[in-house]
Amino acid sequence: MSMGDREPQSDSWRASEHDTREGYQNWSGSLRFRPSRAVAPRSEEELAQIIGDASRQGRTVRPVGSMHSSTGIIATDDILVSLDHFRGVYSVDQKAHRAEVGAGTVLRDLGKRLSEIGLAMPNYGDVATQTIAGAIGTGTHGSGIDLYNLSMTLVGGSMVTGSGAIKTFSLESDPDLVRAMRVSFGTLGILTRIELQLEPDYQLHRQEWCTTFDAVFPRLCEFAAENRNFDLYWYPRSDEVKLRCLNPPGEGPDYSSFAWLAESRTGAPHEVIPKHSDLPDKFDEMEYAFAADAARDCLLAIRDRIRSRWRRTVCWRVLYRFVKADDTWLSEAHARETATISLHQNSSLPFRDYFADIEPIFQSHGGRPHWAKIHTMTGAQLGARYPMWRRFGQLRRELDPDGVLLTPYLRGLLAPQMEAAR
Amino acid sequence: MSVPGRQLWVIPGGCIPLASTGREPEFTSRDEVALLNPGETDASLEITIYYTTSEPVGPYALTIKARRMRQVRFNDLIFPEALPLGVEYAALIRSDVPIVVQFTRYDTGRTNRALMGAVAYSIV
Repeated sequence: MSMGDREPQSDSWRASEHDTREGYQNWSGSLRFRPSRAVAPRSEEELAQIIGDASRQGRTVRPVGSMHSSTGIIATDDILVSLDHFRGVYSVDQKAHRAEVGAGTVLRDLGKRLSEIGLAMPNYGDVATQTIAGAIGTGTHGSGIDLYNLSMTLVGGSMVTGSGAIKTFSLESDPDLVRAMRVSFGTLGILTRIELQLEPDYQLHRQEWCTTFDAVFPRLCEFAAENRNFDLYWYPRSDEVKLRCLNPPGEGPDYSSFAWLAESRTGAPHEVIPKHSDLPDKFDEMEYAFAADAARDCLLAIRDRIRSRWRRTVCWRVLYRFVKADDTWLSEAHARETATISLHQNSSLPFRDYFADIEPIFQSHGGRPHWAKIHTMTGAQLGARYPMWRRFGQLRRELDPDGVLLTPYLRGLLAPQMEAAR
Repeated sequence: MSVPGRQLWVIPGGCIPLASTGREPEFTSRDEVALLNPGETDASLEITIYYTTSEPVGPYALTIKARRMRQVRFNDLIFPEALPLGVEYAALIRSDVPIVVQFTRYDTGRTNRALMGAVAYSIV
């Protein structure tokens, strides 16, 4: 089946337009690597051929999206595969609110196209420059106690496995495979077509309220419950907070008795949920996910730590978000109602010491790191945080028996898992 | 009537106090500029920060609407990168229309709070 360009192309970063001799770096610049070859197959059959050849030759193949990941999941020294030619909306089921899209479709393009046909994603993260496959594969999420991460929109599709086989799947016929695929960062197969569970198009009213930490923290759960989308920025150098609330027009709560309204606008979800797609300056990020109660305690602990140790150099806000519990095997929100805490720092400033000082606090509160953001947890440590870790390893062995889909980093991360699965 | 103001301003003696005491954000130690745009055109500003031992950083972009003033804490500037607290710096402020700039340092690091304010030095 041909998967040629079917939609207007985004102006986003494209692996296939990059010269491998120059080396690659991720969006923030904190990760650099040099693949031996970069390819952009035009069809599923061509991709299957590339992976099959790599398997026979003992080589590896790594898919890459928009290069927003900061961990070594994308850093390959061998074949890099771009899905630039797998873009657009391929088919629509209006009755079921489902659409089949190309795995390389960039989220903001997807949002526009879906809106034209009366559909919408249930949620977005803070940026919409990732590809849909990248966002799904890394567990990208927005914020809201009744909103899943973006991976849960995956209900079927087609992929090429590590042995070069083309495999179609659906939630109805392969529920366990889908639960594993949703957050698998390209290690079970390279997605080509993705069937998404969507919603009828809708509008949201975005309001951003500014106030103090003390005015908000005791009522955090209350605020989360009364907004469709809700997250919190805490500013280390002033102890102020910004509440970012999105609701159906006319339904947003009024916080003017204790906060001032910094922003108010209404639009389609792809227009008003992602806020920072076009930031001119880069930053690096560490995020951990917690059981909701533990996250509150953790926020207090890191607030104390940052104020006492890091205010001299850290100005960037800390982001606190909510994610609905799911049954995805390696999801940050697996089997627990979740809140996440993200640290940020300008990429031009030292950030590793800051992250390294806070990370033990994250880990002591039972945190699970975001797969695509900076962390130092090993496979053995992660295995203790994910009940389905070993099962995932078994499935990986079935779908990628020769480790074709592993980068050097992923091999180190998943090798213990593979051994445990034997 | 001519519009008061200049398009190039300098604050040569910046240093955001590291320590604060008291409730925040009211009593946060800070370096702050008050920016007045008395004209009929929105002002686009670019701030460049100079240090004693490292290369300048900037521009930090700000806008001030026509016939409005705005207060900005240097503590909170983040793009392209945050200013360190407790480190000497100088700020060069360029505007595409005439503005007036006042600089204030508020230091609450000790029990006896200190406040210092001065009109920045205008060049053009």
